[in-house]
Amino acid sequence: MKNIEIGKYGSSFGLSFAITSLFSALLVVLKETSQHTVLAWMKAVTPHHWITHTLLDLILFVVLGLALAKANKGQGIKISPNRLNNMIVGAFVISGIIIAGFYLFIG
Amino acid sequence: MTNFLLMSHAVLGSLLGLAGVWLFVDVLNAKEENQARIRMMSLIIAGLMWLTYLLAGYFYVVYYSADKALILKGPWTFAHDFFMESKEHVVMMLLLLATCLPIFAYNNLAANRGARKIVLWATGLLILTTVAMEGAGAIISMGVRVALLCK
Repeated sequence: MKNIEIGKYGSSFGLSFAITSLFSALLVVLKETSQHTVLAWMKAVTPHHWITHTLLDLILFVVLGLALAKANKGQGIKISPNRLNNMIVGAFVISGIIIAGFYLFIG
Repeated sequence: MTNFLLMSHAVLGSLLGLAGVWLFVDVLNAKEENQARIRMMSLIIAGLMWLTYLLAGYFYVVYYSADKALILKGPWTFAHDFFMESKEHVVMMLLLLATCLPIFAYNNLAANRGARKIVLWATGLLILTTVAMEGAGAIISMGVRVALLCK
């Protein structure tokens, strides 16, 4: 069994997931600490701030994933599977800690 | 109808966890013969996650405010302040991770060790987080019950 690359969409959307995950966690902190500006804007854009948050995450995830897939003249980003895996798992765990930690200690 | 919506997202979440275990075991034993089933299961997981998210989201946006008000008047305010707030945001990452699964599983996992490792880790995180979501949901429900008992 070889440790070969995982295809341009796998790499691109994997990295996009890692970045979007961290963005989403930081947006939680930002909106909760800026209730009169960021949270108020998010509530005004859609019927609920949670819907706006979801839409922002989805837009970033899709746009970033497609953009990264077009990098390197359409060949996609070059990243080893091990490194990509570390980024995906690391981003998921760190984002979870940011969210849970914020509501446990600050929120 | 409200109760049906509430229960359906919890049931779908449980099915998601079970499907995750299925996929994890299949990927651990990845061979040429089970590639099609692995890809199908990853698609089923992504579909279940989207369905669960939409149903739970509808319930949360339309009906949860009444439960929230009750919880915050009762003794278990942490059921909302910590568990619901964390749950509603962590589940966004779960949606994206589940969406990535079919893209990762499109590779030949029997031949590609890197792709196999990524699918195993992603599925493992999905299973553990799904279990945590179910537990958080139970605590939130209990928060409402405890508040009603104290009325």
